[in-house]
Amino acid sequence: MVDRELPSRAGLAVQTIDVTKVYRVGRIDYSALRGVNLKIGKRELVSIVGPSGSGKSTLLNLIGALDPPTSGHVIIDGVDLRKLNEDKLAILRNQKIGFVYQTFNLIQRLTATENVEMPLIARGIPDKIRRSRSLKMLSAVGLAQKGNKRPTELSGGEQQRVAIARALVTQPALVLGDEPTGNVDSKTTIEILNYIVQVNKTLGTTFVLVTHNPDVANMTHRMITIKDGLIEKEQYLQPMDSYTGL
Amino acid sequence: MRTSDIFKLAFKALRDRKLRSLLTILGIMIGSAIILALIASSSGLSAGVEAQVGKIGANTLTVSSAGQFFGGGSSGTQKYQLSQQDVNTIKSFQGVSDAIPYYSQRVTIAYGSNSIEGELIGVDTSALSTMYKGLSLDSGGLPDSYDPSAAAVGYSIAFPTGSSDQLALNQMISITLGGSTSSSLTFLVKGIFSEYGRVLFSNIDETIFISLQSAQILLKTQYFSGLYVMTNTAGDVTTVQQEIESYYGTQVRVMNAGSMVSSVESITEQMTVFLGSIGSVSLFVAAVGITNTMFVSVMERTREIGILKALGYKPKQIMGMFLSEAILSGIVGGVGGTILGYALSFILGGSLSMFGGFGMSGPGQPGSSTSGSSTTFTPVFTPELIAFSLLFPIGIAVLAGLYPAWRASRMNAVVALKYE
Repeated sequence: MVDRELPSRAGLAVQTIDVTKVYRVGRIDYSALRGVNLKIGKRELVSIVGPSGSGKSTLLNLIGALDPPTSGHVIIDGVDLRKLNEDKLAILRNQKIGFVYQTFNLIQRLTATENVEMPLIARGIPDKIRRSRSLKMLSAVGLAQKGNKRPTELSGGEQQRVAIARALVTQPALVLGDEPTGNVDSKTTIEILNYIVQVNKTLGTTFVLVTHNPDVANMTHRMITIKDGLIEKEQYLQPMDSYTGL
Repeated sequence: MRTSDIFKLAFKALRDRKLRSLLTILGIMIGSAIILALIASSSGLSAGVEAQVGKIGANTLTVSSAGQFFGGGSSGTQKYQLSQQDVNTIKSFQGVSDAIPYYSQRVTIAYGSNSIEGELIGVDTSALSTMYKGLSLDSGGLPDSYDPSAAAVGYSIAFPTGSSDQLALNQMISITLGGSTSSSLTFLVKGIFSEYGRVLFSNIDETIFISLQSAQILLKTQYFSGLYVMTNTAGDVTTVQQEIESYYGTQVRVMNAGSMVSSVESITEQMTVFLGSIGSVSLFVAAVGITNTMFVSVMERTREIGILKALGYKPKQIMGMFLSEAILSGIVGGVGGTILGYALSFILGGSLSMFGGFGMSGPGQPGSSTSGSSTTFTPVFTPELIAFSLLFPIGIAVLAGLYPAWRASRMNAVVALKYE
């Protein structure tokens, strides 16, 4: 454990206030989150760990503005999500948040480049500009030669790198990863983590990674453990300033 | 999001499911084609019928012996036969300006290497221009009553399609009467008519005209096949028809051009309603097909919709993407259907005209119109009709796609992303 460092020093990227989430399965209400208070500072690299069903993915979806909380507030970059309608939430996701999933979630019929272009298309960015930005992003993740391949023609690691390129092409302030290395081999895991650290350091992108993998958790600034829908503990692992990655 | 991008993505999505998209589009095409073909050919048929009325005139009646329907030719036994006396009787009726008797017979015309099925009409040739308005000679003159072997022939007899043998004036042609094998007669071509086409009952282009007297000698009978009755005005037609019918009872059959037209038109109308409802039903089925295809597509792409939501696509954009898939299907279906319908209307026009040819009787025997005739009604395509057949399927597709697209746009992102 290192010294507590106030995340608010650089302003908050994410704040949750008494957030609860109740799912109704059939006639039974199931509390996935039972009052989560969380502050994540800008430029922070945070991991959320916990057993299956603890509510960590649910929390990530709430932070990602994909799902509204049953009660409480989610505040992203100073904006309370409750105050935004569907369209504004979509704009917020498009401009401020990037998602990386365990299952990659690429669109199968589109090529790697086209997949990376998708968030730019939503913004109405002209063809040529978004094409060149996507290609630049693909070469940044080491897939310069694979732009024309479809997801089915790529390995798991390559698909995840396409997904990362897609998440970062909009230069979001916040990237949310749901088990981003869950489906890739250990070598690719290290490559991906190194890249995340590099982006975090150079661009100041905030990362929130849900993970089971202790290696992933250990390289983050802070590890938040969730159990039964509540934050069990928060551990500061590395100071942001002296942080050197793995 | 740019409109061009929406359509590009929609196109890629359709291309990804080629067979299914094609089948959906085919459904739209068939519906739109049927409707287009139908309206075009039935309005073409109406226009054709009206043009024919213009040729014979609305003040014309035909009178033929009722028995002819069943007897056929001059061999009928119990039928009433029209003689010169009947001509005089009918001429004396109020409102009648003229009554022109004629003979008519199915014949085979032969010259050179050609053998043509046609109709022989014996009539006072000076009355031809009254009977068939606008009929004119291409070359030569009309046969007169002093020349028993003179004939004037229709355009298709002189210049048959697909044959290098053609008729010239003063050439001999051989005529065999229908039904008898023995009597073959020779005529001298004195005149060739310009192309005229079909009037309700016969095809003038496939008719050979001789004088009344020649026909009388040739057919060895003084009884006429029928009479052409001209009334003073078109308004007299009904009263004259009633006069003749009350005088002769069921012995003769009186037909007037106007009623033939209205009967053809009512047949056309009924067919239009009938086939039109088939067309509408098929478009409706196509619409259900689109809705169904899109529901399947939305379900299959649930996860993709989740991804789009995560990437920051607005509900309206997602709806637009799905809706434009329907619109694209509608556009392709509409264009394809219009082309298909265009082709189909000519086929349909042909069969409708044959249909229109049945049951018409006139100077010739009942059913003397040549069913294999090349005369067809040309379908009529108005710009409004083309626009309708292009745009209507798009409208249908939009309506059909609206609900599935809306469902896609309202999907919960988290649930969608978990969908397997």
